[in-house]
Amino acid sequence: MMKRVTFESVNCGDVLSEVRQHVDQEAIWKHAVASLDYNPVHNNPEWCRTARVFGLPVTVMHGNQTYSLMCKVITNWAYHSGGRMKRLEVKLIKPVPVNTTCTYGATVTEKHPIGRGEDFVALELWAKDQAGELVGVGSAQVYLPLK
Amino acid sequence: MGYLDEMAKYQKTEKQKEFGADFLKRDDVEEYEFWDEIEIGRESEAPVKFEVKAEDLIAYAEGVPDDSPVFYNEEYAKKCGYDGIVAHPIFGTQVGFYVMRKGHGSWIRTPGARNPGQIIEWYDPIKTGDILTLKLQGYDKWIKRGKYYMRYLTEMYDQHGKLKSRMYVTLILPRTKEDVMKFLKGERGLEV
Repeated sequence: MMKRVTFESVNCGDVLSEVRQHVDQEAIWKHAVASLDYNPVHNNPEWCRTARVFGLPVTVMHGNQTYSLMCKVITNWAYHSGGRMKRLEVKLIKPVPVNTTCTYGATVTEKHPIGRGEDFVALELWAKDQAGELVGVGSAQVYLPLK
Repeated sequence: MGYLDEMAKYQKTEKQKEFGADFLKRDDVEEYEFWDEIEIGRESEAPVKFEVKAEDLIAYAEGVPDDSPVFYNEEYAKKCGYDGIVAHPIFGTQVGFYVMRKGHGSWIRTPGARNPGQIIEWYDPIKTGDILTLKLQGYDKWIKRGKYYMRYLTEMYDQHGKLKSRMYVTLILPRTKEDVMKFLKGERGLEV
């Protein structure tokens, strides 16, 4: 049974469980089909060998997939309790080449006791590649049930 | 087998099967908007609407992948306090690419584009049965460290006029049509 996450139960400094995901070409293709983002920089290895959009001769993961996985840290944590995203701001720092394993994490930084069923918390988000280098950072605001 | 054939194996939903997957089709690319021509302040409504089906919501969560049952199991989602299957927070990406195929906003498909990060605000949950419309506004463009940034404000409304989300869609683009056409040929058309 997953522990219920509520505005009352959460504290600033709480660290959420990390998500780890390996992304190969099949995973990138699946995300392209799901998002309808068929940009060749993600999907066409032959084109990437010469186009080198990021200076790399290989495909790269969708930026949208990076922050979808950053959100997964939050959905794993709060959605079974009825949590809901209010705001997300993400900065992508470096491209993630195909066949990379990234880890995604978050920490609660603020509590906003607004009342009226609109209490929300703020979190800092990060994504790192297998070398431990940041590939993305951001912040999120998440509505939580009071109790 | 080409990469588009490989990808076709994963197309399951009605929209995925109908959507044109070739972003290097010359006739389409020539009609895109280009950074140096885009008019800031221009507003429009995307001509295509998006009717949300359960298969669309499920397909996005699968593609993340995010296996939380709230994205797949209606009964479970209701026990968690939702009205039905939940839309993954970044589901709006699928809506955006589905409706912004030509004309205003088509620059999001640009070969050679790079994603520097995004801002999204949510106001009302997306639900099965919603018919979504995107309102677009050329919001800002700027040059920073030799890179050409483009930002649109896209607001998503349902069929009742209720604001669902606001997305500040931002990309770094090749500057001109000539630069984009280099990418079409597989040549790098960006600043060094």
